[in-house]
Amino acid sequence: MNPTKSPSPAQALADALAAEYAAIWAYGVIGVHLTGAARTAARAAEAAHRSRRDALLLQLAEGSGQVPADRAGYALPYPVTDRAGALRLAVEIEERTAGHWRAALAHTSGVERNTALAALTDCALRATRWRRTAGVTPVTVPFPGRPA
Amino acid sequence: MALGGAAAPLTGCDLFDRDQEPPAPDALEPLAAEALALEARYRAAATAAPALAGRLTPIADAHKAHAEELRRVIGRPAPSGTPAAAGSASAPAPDAVLTELRQAEQEGRTNAAKACAEAPAERAALLGSIAAARATHVEALK
Repeated sequence: MNPTKSPSPAQALADALAAEYAAIWAYGVIGVHLTGAARTAARAAEAAHRSRRDALLLQLAEGSGQVPADRAGYALPYPVTDRAGALRLAVEIEERTAGHWRAALAHTSGVERNTALAALTDCALRATRWRRTAGVTPVTVPFPGRPA
Repeated sequence: MALGGAAAPLTGCDLFDRDQEPPAPDALEPLAAEALALEARYRAAATAAPALAGRLTPIADAHKAHAEELRRVIGRPAPSGTPAAAGSASAPAPDAVLTELRQAEQEGRTNAAKACAEAPAERAALLGSIAAARATHVEALK
C-alpha cells in the first residue's frame, strides 16, 4: 500500500475498467489458440469480464467522474502463437485484473467494496483454473492480485 | 481555598495502582488464529496422506504467510494462550481429508470476506487477497 498514491474511488474504478477492457481484448487473442474445454472456458471468462465492464460503465456514468474509453488495441507482453502462450497470457491477465480490483478495495466501502472483492475473487479463481489447465504448479498464489 | 483539594496526597490506588485496562484485542485476531489453525490442519493432513502433500503443502505455506502478514498489520505479538490448532490425530481417507479441508476453507473464506467488508481502508487489500486466496484453495482441492 502506498499512501502517497491514493486515487479517488472513481479513479480506482476507472483503473479497474481499463483493466477489464484489456482483459476482454486479450481473451480474443487467447481464444483462437485454444480448443475444446479450454476454449469454452476462455469464452466464459471473456463474458465474465464483459459483465464487469458493463457494470462499471453504469456505475461510473452515475458518478461525475470521467469514464475512460476502450482502446483500439493493446500491446501484448510477448507474442502469443500457441496454446502454451495463450494459457500463460490468460493467467497473467487474470492476475493483473485482480490487482486492479484489489487496489479498488481500499477506495470503496459497502456494496462497492463487496463488488470489488467478488471481482478480485473471480479473477483469482480463473487464474487458478488456467494454471491447472496449463499444468503449472502450485495452482494458487498466496496473495492474489498483490504486486509481486 | 479550592486548591487545597488538589494538593491532597495521592491516596492508595489512585494513580499507580489503577488496573491497567488491557488493550482491546485487534479485530483481526480471530482471522490470524484461523490462518494458523488452517496451516496446522494442512500440515497434519499432508502428513496423514503423503500422496496429497504436493497439493496441500503450498496451501499450508499460504496460510502461514497470511498469518504472518496479519500479525504484522496487527502490530503486536499474538495474545498468550493462542492454541496451536488441534489437528485430528487419525489418518482419514484422502477423499475425507479433502472434503474436510474444503469445508474449513469455505468457512475461512466467508470470515475473511466479512473482515474485508468491515475493515478500514488500509487493511482492505490484504484481507481481500486472503479471502480470494481461500477461495482459490477450495478450487485447488477439487
